[in-house]
Amino acid sequence: MLEALVYGAIAALISGTVLPLLYRSKNTRKTSFGLSLLSSILLLGFAGALLYTGKEPVFPPIRYLPGLDFTLVADRLSAGFILLIAAVVPGVSIYSVEYVEHAKSEAGKNLQTALTNLFILAMLMVVLAGNMVIFLIFWEIMSLSSLLLVLHDYSSEENKKAGFFYFVMTNISTAFLFVGFISLFRLTGSADFGPLEYSASELALPFLSLFIGFGVKAGLVPFHKWLPYAHPAAPSSVSALMSGVMLKVAVYGFLRFLLSVFTPELWWGVLIITAGSLSALFGVIYALKENDIKRLLAYSSIENIGIIFTGIGLYVIFKVEGLESLALLSLAGACFHAFNHALFKSLLFLCAGSIVHATGTRKIEAFGGLVKTMPATTALFMIGSVSIAALPPTNGFAGELLLYQAFFQSFAVTDPLLTVFLITALSSFALTGALAAALFVKLFGITCLALPRSEKSRLAEEVQKPMLIGPAVPAALCILAGLFSKQLLSFAGWEIEFPDLLLLGLLLGLIYAALFLIIRSKETSPARISETWGCGIPTLAPHMEYSSAGFSEPLVMIFKNIYRTKIVHKAEYHDKQESLFKNGNVEIRLLRFFEEYLYIPPARAIESFSKYVSSLQNGKLDSYILYAFLAVIVLIIATGGFV
Amino acid sequence: MNTSFLLFALLNPLFALLAAPLYMALIRKVKAYAQGRRGPSLFQVYYDLRKLLQKEAVYSPTSSWIMRFTPYLNLSTLLVCSLFVPLVFVPEPAGGIGNIIVFLYLLALERFFTALGGLDAGSAFGGMGSSRSMSLAAVIEPTMVVAFAALAFVLKSLNLHQMFALNAGTILPISPTLVLVSISLFIILIVETGRLPVDNPATHLELTMINEAMILEQTGTNLALLELAHALKQFLLMGILINTILPVGLSTEIDAGKIAVSAFLFLLKAGLLAIIIGLFESALAKMRLFRLPAFYVMAFFFSALTILIEVFA
Repeated sequence: MLEALVYGAIAALISGTVLPLLYRSKNTRKTSFGLSLLSSILLLGFAGALLYTGKEPVFPPIRYLPGLDFTLVADRLSAGFILLIAAVVPGVSIYSVEYVEHAKSEAGKNLQTALTNLFILAMLMVVLAGNMVIFLIFWEIMSLSSLLLVLHDYSSEENKKAGFFYFVMTNISTAFLFVGFISLFRLTGSADFGPLEYSASELALPFLSLFIGFGVKAGLVPFHKWLPYAHPAAPSSVSALMSGVMLKVAVYGFLRFLLSVFTPELWWGVLIITAGSLSALFGVIYALKENDIKRLLAYSSIENIGIIFTGIGLYVIFKVEGLESLALLSLAGACFHAFNHALFKSLLFLCAGSIVHATGTRKIEAFGGLVKTMPATTALFMIGSVSIAALPPTNGFAGELLLYQAFFQSFAVTDPLLTVFLITALSSFALTGALAAALFVKLFGITCLALPRSEKSRLAEEVQKPMLIGPAVPAALCILAGLFSKQLLSFAGWEIEFPDLLLLGLLLGLIYAALFLIIRSKETSPARISETWGCGIPTLAPHMEYSSAGFSEPLVMIFKNIYRTKIVHKAEYHDKQESLFKNGNVEIRLLRFFEEYLYIPPARAIESFSKYVSSLQNGKLDSYILYAFLAVIVLIIATGGFV
Repeated sequence: MNTSFLLFALLNPLFALLAAPLYMALIRKVKAYAQGRRGPSLFQVYYDLRKLLQKEAVYSPTSSWIMRFTPYLNLSTLLVCSLFVPLVFVPEPAGGIGNIIVFLYLLALERFFTALGGLDAGSAFGGMGSSRSMSLAAVIEPTMVVAFAALAFVLKSLNLHQMFALNAGTILPISPTLVLVSISLFIILIVETGRLPVDNPATHLELTMINEAMILEQTGTNLALLELAHALKQFLLMGILINTILPVGLSTEIDAGKIAVSAFLFLLKAGLLAIIIGLFESALAKMRLFRLPAFYVMAFFFSALTILIEVFA
């Protein structure tokens, strides 16, 4: 019965992919997104039933090559991530019905529709994959379909660069996964996900390569740079899927190996927490400085992935230390935060898409006053901002609360060095949370409040209905998942001591209503409207308002060592003695630390090596045959040496 | 829900709401005396609140629903917070009310909307206040979390009610390390309520304001609600500090006499703390904005030290 739901969802997604390739019409595109909506409803039923009953369905394997089976597996872990996919897809599908129509060409619209369906299908299949080969096949389909979506508007130079960057990074990720899978295969001779009994030193290589492979795809610092490039280039609905779901698929892959293949070591936990904390902190610190709304959200995704990895690292440490209940708490926190981030980040990306569509710019400094011109989008954007700033009683808070509870009880760990490490990690976690709140005060405040900062923003119009109903779905889920977090966790089988946020929400709501009614009933004179105080200036102008850069200035000053700003003077003079100034400029530039020190040197090395190699290619057939012959001989000698 | 908690839910917020403004006034009075003035009456804050509640609100044409929503939300949030800190007696725990992390994040909710309210009217002063407030809050957050983690670790619970039930009944705190946490809690109290050397609550120059700048555009009833919320916040943080360092007399059972003694003693202890805060404010000058992180590190150090001592002792 349950299996049928999965097959139905897969069939719906496949037809959603094929249809728009065959027929070019608006109705086909609508049907196609309807099919992906249908698939998510089927998946919702499947995942919910699996999580509630705990009964795992059996999918009969299909043998497609000798020794290689097409197997699907779904357990509670995959069910959790299928639930995540099923929660994000409806909003994105409804939104896309209208959003995709803004693409330039008719062919482009259909292609985008088909690829979106393929992308969803691939992510679903990665989560369902029953062995490493199937996993890798769909992992690649997922990467390629998202790459094509990032490149949807390939005419601009910036997007081409973004696409290339993403292409390289995603291949690095796959390469590391290959190394990890092959080294595991060498140990066991099997491509299945099964528990391993090997010594720690033998497992170090597979673990590290899988950690880097999944880390690149999830956007962990220092492998995060593709996110802020790819997201502004991609259509917003695709950004919502990439940030909301694809990053979580990488988290799923990592968890799959950590939970059902490896027996973790203590240093793995320390490594994972360190990478997680650094990602969280750097992500939010870079986001604070950002002036491009989609790039800012991309950096914020890096931050949240960091939080998820911090939770996973805590799980490993507690597991090794034998603190089972705390380990469970941290794992629940990491998974729940992954689910929550999927909801509020897709919500925020969809709202950002609407704002960018209405104003025609991505610059935060050019927004302002949208609360008046786009009230509904602003309200949805508000829900997303409150959730991501982890304020009670939303779901963003519920996830972080689980992790805080794990941290607060973690001092039962007896190792002194570990205690110091955990205090450091906790402080960095707290700092991240508070910086995220500051970040979203800035984003929401500068984007939606006060006077419009540009003509485009002043003339912005509210978007069409589907682009409001779409984000309304994750917005409603954000609130519900927060209020019913305790009930949700116990539904999924996690009996954890957890405050009842429903009670808290009800209390807040009731006291608010009571206060409002009491004050309003006593009110004697109506409110007046009068100008904002501006020290006597008759009318306030937009350029007098606090700007995005101004808002983050104090934090930039405090963290100036991390930003590494560089002041560059350029000047021309009329004379040689440099006394008569002709023209020039001074710019304060952000040093792109990771790019300049970590990405570019290896890229240059590879480039010069390729140039050297290309000189061997002389275009003559006989010399190529010679190369092939030499290669075969070298291979025979090399493998012979091993045997 | 049990009867003990229902009674608490009625008494504690009411007590906090009525008593909180008094300590705003008391600190002002102490500062006035320190400056050689007599200062306004202790009831002046109540008079001001009554006057403001009767006045109409004035809104800027630039402002939106955020500005109308924030005052009510802030006071409701702080009223919910007042269920978290036992002042008159410690009830039996119910429904996770009292969770220390929820308390911290309720304060964050209040701060988030106050900061948005500052940006809403489009005034540069409001934006400046919001920016500074959120920046300083971000820098103090690790200290707050680690201090509360230390408190939770020493008092063996995540629930403020259970913590203070453990600490109640003795004259002095049950563990000497709580004295160390108290130093951090005192600094947090100063920072969170916008007092010297972080922010000057008595300033009249917009450029030096932080908290006042954010509510510069708020008027009438709305301003009264915000002022009341601010007073409540200060009172509750004072409550946490007092219950930690001087728990004497805090009742853990429902008994009219004991509750009365408990409430009366609390008023006295809070009075003493208010005098200390007043003298502390009088003795210090406002620090430069970018010097403040160093001030916070001190509080951080004491909290981290507490955890380390408890772990290794």
